[in-house]
Amino acid sequence: MARMKFLCDAERCIECNSCVTACKNEHEIPWGINRRRVVTLSDGKPGERSISVACMHCSDAPCMAVCPVDCFYQTANGVVLHDKDLCIGCGYCFFACPFGAPQYPQAGNFGSRGKMDKCTFCAGGPEDDHSAEEFKKYGRNRIAEGKLPICAEMCSTKALLAGDGNIVSNIYRERVVGRGFGSGAWGWGRAYIGEGRT
Amino acid sequence: MDLRELVAAMFLFALIVMPLESLQAQSVRPPANAVNQGIDKQIDEQIGTSNTLGTNSQSDYWRDLRHGKDGLATSGQSGRKLIQAQGEQWRIVRKTYIVKYGGWVLATAIFLIVLFYLIRGKIRLKAGRSGETISRFSLPHRTAHWFMASIFILLSISGLILLLGRTVLMPVIGKNAHSIVASAAMQGHNLFGPLFIVALIWLTFMFIRGNFFQMADLKWILKGGGLLGPHASAGHYNFGEKGWFWLVVIAGSIMAITGMILEFPWLAESLQLLQISVIVHAIGAIALISAALGHIYIGTLGMEGALDSMTTGDVDVVWAKEHHDLWYEEVTGQKVANPEAEGSQSIPDHNQISAQSQTTET
Amino acid sequence: MLRKKIGEVAKGPRLSSALKEMTKGTVDRRTFLKKSGLAVGGIGAAATLTGGRVQKAHAAGSDAKVELKKSVCTNCSVGCTVMAEVQNGVWIGQEPGFDSPFNLGAHCAKGAAAREAAHGDRRLKYPTKLVDGKWKRISWDEAINEVGDIMLDIKKTSGPDSVYWLGSAKHSNEQAYLFRKFYAFWGSNNGDHQARICHSTTVAGVANTWGYGAMTNSYNDIHNSKAMILIGSNPTEAHPVAMQHLMKAKENNNAPLIVCDPRFTRTAAKATEYVRMRPGTDVALIWGILWHILENGWEDKEYIRQRVWGMNYIAEEVARWNPEECERVTGVPGSQLKRVARTLANNRPGTLIWCMGGTQHTNGNNNTRAYCILQLALGNIGKSGGGANIFRGHDNVQGATDFCVLSHSLPGYYGLKKGSWQHWARVWDVSYDYLLGKFASEKLMQSKGIPVSRWIDGVLEDKKNMDQPDNLRAMVFWGHAPNSQTRGGEMKTAMEKLDLLVVIDPYPTVSAVMHDRKDGVYLLPATTQYETYGSVTASNRSLQWREKVIEPVFESLPDHTIMYKFATKLGFADEMFKNIAINNDEPMVEDITREFNKGMWTIGYTGQSPERLKLHMANQHTFDKTTLQAKGGPADGEYYGLPWPCWGTADIKHPGTPNLYDPSKPVAEGGLCFRNRFGLKSPEKWGSENLLADGSYPVDSEIKDGYPEFTMGMLKKLGWDSDLTADERSFIEGLSGDKTNWKVDLTGGIQRVAIKHGCAPFGNAKARTVVWNFPDPIPTHREPLYTPRRDLLDKYATYADKQAYRLPTMYASIQKNDYSKDYPIILTSGRLVEYEGGGDESRSNPWLAELQQDMFVEINTADANNIGIRDGEMVWVETPEKSKIRVKAMLTERVGKGVAFLPFHFGGHFQGKDLRSKYPEGADPYVLGEAANTVMTYGYDSVTQMQESKVSLCKITRA
Repeated sequence: MARMKFLCDAERCIECNSCVTACKNEHEIPWGINRRRVVTLSDGKPGERSISVACMHCSDAPCMAVCPVDCFYQTANGVVLHDKDLCIGCGYCFFACPFGAPQYPQAGNFGSRGKMDKCTFCAGGPEDDHSAEEFKKYGRNRIAEGKLPICAEMCSTKALLAGDGNIVSNIYRERVVGRGFGSGAWGWGRAYIGEGRT
Repeated sequence: MDLRELVAAMFLFALIVMPLESLQAQSVRPPANAVNQGIDKQIDEQIGTSNTLGTNSQSDYWRDLRHGKDGLATSGQSGRKLIQAQGEQWRIVRKTYIVKYGGWVLATAIFLIVLFYLIRGKIRLKAGRSGETISRFSLPHRTAHWFMASIFILLSISGLILLLGRTVLMPVIGKNAHSIVASAAMQGHNLFGPLFIVALIWLTFMFIRGNFFQMADLKWILKGGGLLGPHASAGHYNFGEKGWFWLVVIAGSIMAITGMILEFPWLAESLQLLQISVIVHAIGAIALISAALGHIYIGTLGMEGALDSMTTGDVDVVWAKEHHDLWYEEVTGQKVANPEAEGSQSIPDHNQISAQSQTTET
Repeated sequence: MLRKKIGEVAKGPRLSSALKEMTKGTVDRRTFLKKSGLAVGGIGAAATLTGGRVQKAHAAGSDAKVELKKSVCTNCSVGCTVMAEVQNGVWIGQEPGFDSPFNLGAHCAKGAAAREAAHGDRRLKYPTKLVDGKWKRISWDEAINEVGDIMLDIKKTSGPDSVYWLGSAKHSNEQAYLFRKFYAFWGSNNGDHQARICHSTTVAGVANTWGYGAMTNSYNDIHNSKAMILIGSNPTEAHPVAMQHLMKAKENNNAPLIVCDPRFTRTAAKATEYVRMRPGTDVALIWGILWHILENGWEDKEYIRQRVWGMNYIAEEVARWNPEECERVTGVPGSQLKRVARTLANNRPGTLIWCMGGTQHTNGNNNTRAYCILQLALGNIGKSGGGANIFRGHDNVQGATDFCVLSHSLPGYYGLKKGSWQHWARVWDVSYDYLLGKFASEKLMQSKGIPVSRWIDGVLEDKKNMDQPDNLRAMVFWGHAPNSQTRGGEMKTAMEKLDLLVVIDPYPTVSAVMHDRKDGVYLLPATTQYETYGSVTASNRSLQWREKVIEPVFESLPDHTIMYKFATKLGFADEMFKNIAINNDEPMVEDITREFNKGMWTIGYTGQSPERLKLHMANQHTFDKTTLQAKGGPADGEYYGLPWPCWGTADIKHPGTPNLYDPSKPVAEGGLCFRNRFGLKSPEKWGSENLLADGSYPVDSEIKDGYPEFTMGMLKKLGWDSDLTADERSFIEGLSGDKTNWKVDLTGGIQRVAIKHGCAPFGNAKARTVVWNFPDPIPTHREPLYTPRRDLLDKYATYADKQAYRLPTMYASIQKNDYSKDYPIILTSGRLVEYEGGGDESRSNPWLAELQQDMFVEINTADANNIGIRDGEMVWVETPEKSKIRVKAMLTERVGKGVAFLPFHFGGHFQGKDLRSKYPEGADPYVLGEAANTVMTYGYDSVTQMQESKVSLCKITRA
């Protein structure tokens, strides 16, 4: 069974936000909710890099661990999904998630966050595949259509990869090898400063 | 009415002022890239404004990221951090320490109470009820107490459902029912939470007199509160009650503060503060609930005659003599015959006694 | 650069109520279905008949078949295929267009949010006019009649030149062509579109160097580049999908990516070398690089000998730009430029990419020619992997330029001479005299109209100083955002002085609100390109055919339908649509394509018949992703989208020209040489030298040397005229005999025969580095009008004031004043990835608007600290022409010290005032902000009247 994963190639991500709007478009996500976001590091300085981040569908997902109502479940593909019918909007998954994935429709006064919403890896929710209910709550189920998440499919520079972890890592490995020295070689930037440069 | 207006005002204020960035995470630590900027600069100096062989991968750069380096985010509720590293720690603290050990602390508290009951049984009035009573708590005192008690119980039960429901309740009633219960618990908790603050202030105001520690308390402690044998003299409140009062006041305040932060997340400037608040709130809750169990036990099942003070407000004279002899002496001016007593140091003059008894009755 | 909001909701009561609506989830697909009020029955019933395998039982819960429609993104010029899923006539989803060779499924934020056009929550929903300061809904007939009557009255009293037809790069090719034809039939050359303020200096500079003004290669061809140098171009924000191709070269070829820009852009972050220069010093920078190349003999000497004329003159100029002088002017260290020069010399072929950063200057045409010369010196033009890859801005700005929705030419760059009019009169099947009768005079018919950059002056200038009878009295903004134009303060005055202001657009645009008019404003809802169909030309000259995705929403109409309605009202519909079928007021798009196929010989828009284009779209997957050539399949051997020139008629099946001037292929297979456009010899002043190519020619050419452009006489001399068919011969003889050239032969016979013998119809000449007919024959550095470097003025002063395009134009009279004391910071502007152009469309798209909610100014941290501004504070940015805007400060190292940057997509605030309440109900964009161009100042290119929006001076103060 495939293990679904996301990988964002920081050497390629240009912070164009297509992943963000593609997601909004595909799932009709309202204003204020961002299942995916792009973070830019060292903004405006040499070394600036951007990374697109959403739910990473962790193997040992913190959200699943801390949910007081156990609304999360992991599919056989490793996709972490949740049941909005069970969710009570407590916000604990947001406290635990390293990636800031959980989003809430309301602002959080009197704890009224509403049902948590997050990236589904375009795999819908516990409802029947392609049902109107599923779409309403979780957006479209592309996985059931035999497709991959729309954010990765529409990435402008193919920086964001999604799919079977083995294939994703193979693609990335090929890229790193292709780039060779200076791009992605661990520690080289530190160890060999000033050598072999034109 | 005041209270409702206050809550409504807070709510409105929150709606108007509160930006969506309520949950925004901002580092309170110094920028994690402080060192790395130096490296960037070093590279720049050597090879121009950026290197000619491709943006190279610096392990330090990514290591910083792992520890929560700030970036510039597109939008949304999750702020500027790529990786919020303390989330994992929070998870461990909550899952392992709070839920697991917290649960055991409560279980242990119950176990000890049961054990105590089995060993010691109900503390009876040695002399039996006399039928003659003296006034211990006025109606306002009792109202304040029961107001707090009801809110405390509601918050405790709802809080415990959120804390331990998944472990204890869910296997019994199933996910769906548990979700409904938990949702109700959370809503209830959030709704009654602010009332706890009112109750706490009221309670503190009403009961603070007489709850300051005195020399008698030291003796009471030395005698183990009389539980271990010899009688321990006590005033209006014995040391246990005073301790309980101050626990409620101090821990309660902490609960109130952390609770407010959690209830109005925009008050917190960082996710970290929210995370800490949840943990502190849970620890405080366990401490308070455990102590409250003891308080409830001793006030009801554990001691004959104790409950009267919070129901009718009048306690049997015998109860007063046996448990709060100094208070009894103060109120009545009569010395309690106590073979083990070392003799009272001073006999209060009548004016003082009458004054005190007046205040307790009003 | 990007001021990104962290979960802040935009303020303002109307917006917040809109947000509430959204968070309630009112804009899901089902409610949209209800809202749109489409007739579901017919299409739905038809769909169920098809039976078959329903690929997607879609989430909308309906079993109706999901159709896939292919359109092309309407934002930038990359030409990304938009795959629309349509069910029951409702656009329910977007799929990646993996088959498209241009985007391979990718989109940027804008393309990925294209479907919002179908929601159209903030669209202009019906014709509206301003009555006593209030918007009033009217019918289409009322609108056309009222507007038409006013125009006819203006024509009678002031002449046709007092109405200005401002077209759009958002039109399809057919609409652009029709629009150009429209104002020819109206009788004026006062028409223009965004290309004027976008790449006009490119077209002028490049076309005058080697023949055509377009991007020479393609995005995909960059895969073959060994080096890339970008000047004033920021594809990560302006052409994000193009970065995919650049990255491929960078990673696979280890190609260095050099970015020259005053700002450390997102693109610079991906670069291997970043060169920070002072804004407006492009020529100096290029000469600084070329200095090292010539100094070290790194130029391609054989290439120059064969294909380039006048390099010796350039060398003389370049010799002055030694590293010290170059650093003094540009601020770039000589050592860095030496490294850049060596990198370019060592990694050939390399491509040079430029955009607005290079073009929008008073000496923009000098910049573009300097870029060309650098590439010529390196021998990079006409080579796969090389080229001058000029990324155009809008989706169809290349097409609209080719159809010359401009004030100075007829379609196909034919110019405005009598012969040009006669050519198009033949194509249009009307007499020259008929057209002449429409104009005020033959002189005005043949003289350049007012360019869009100067329409303000066309209104405000004293008419005594103008070369036309009266001021402009009516403006038609047909798909144009006024906030993309400089001098916003004066524009407001001009708008208020007009008799009539017409906005034809899917959105009200800033034109609807920036003035204080009480009446005489008409807003007419046009459709987006997703609601109609037709061809569109991407930056690489490829044409793609869009399918109609959905029916027009609300009361909007396609532009060509509106043109027909106006033509009818104005009384020339019969002649204008003589050969175009009309169906229910909608001209048939394919007929328009076929009509322009008949006349666009100069640049080879003749072979792209609707059938061929549709075939390409249907078989996208058969095209190679690097060469763009189809391998097998029905379009075997052809290049994707038949990049122009696609010579001859569609019958000769020319495959299109993937890379211009590339002699490694036969002309019949897409090869070319430089065009013979500037005569056979240089003028006496410039040595009377031979301009024809020397020993360089496309493969298989029967003439093994340079040759002039083809005429009938030349065919006869070569003895090739026997290859003409009888029909071709009789047409040619009937036209002007031996003088008939390849551009006016409507049969395409001359082109066909030339190509048959391996020759390029336009001749085979050298590129010229000296454009003797321009103000600066040799590209020269000239300081911007508002320059902080007074010390450089003795050497690098600007031009003298002059009369251009019917209007007095100022240069020296502005530069002579020293503003640098009061306005110490250089102000520049540019794009953000989420928005496009004036931004009315993208700021009305909630998926995009949420990502950029505030207009801001980037200020260097040091400058900000000197002024006393903190990050996120509101500041006033004021320029010497006394306009000012109130924006948020963003402190960043992205801009250098002494430079500030404004994104130009915002609008709807004016000098501190929020104009939200002035929009028609429900048509205000989600995000408003100050327009950068409100403060951008005077300054126009010496050849094309391109506006100067990249360099001004400003002062920044706390608000």
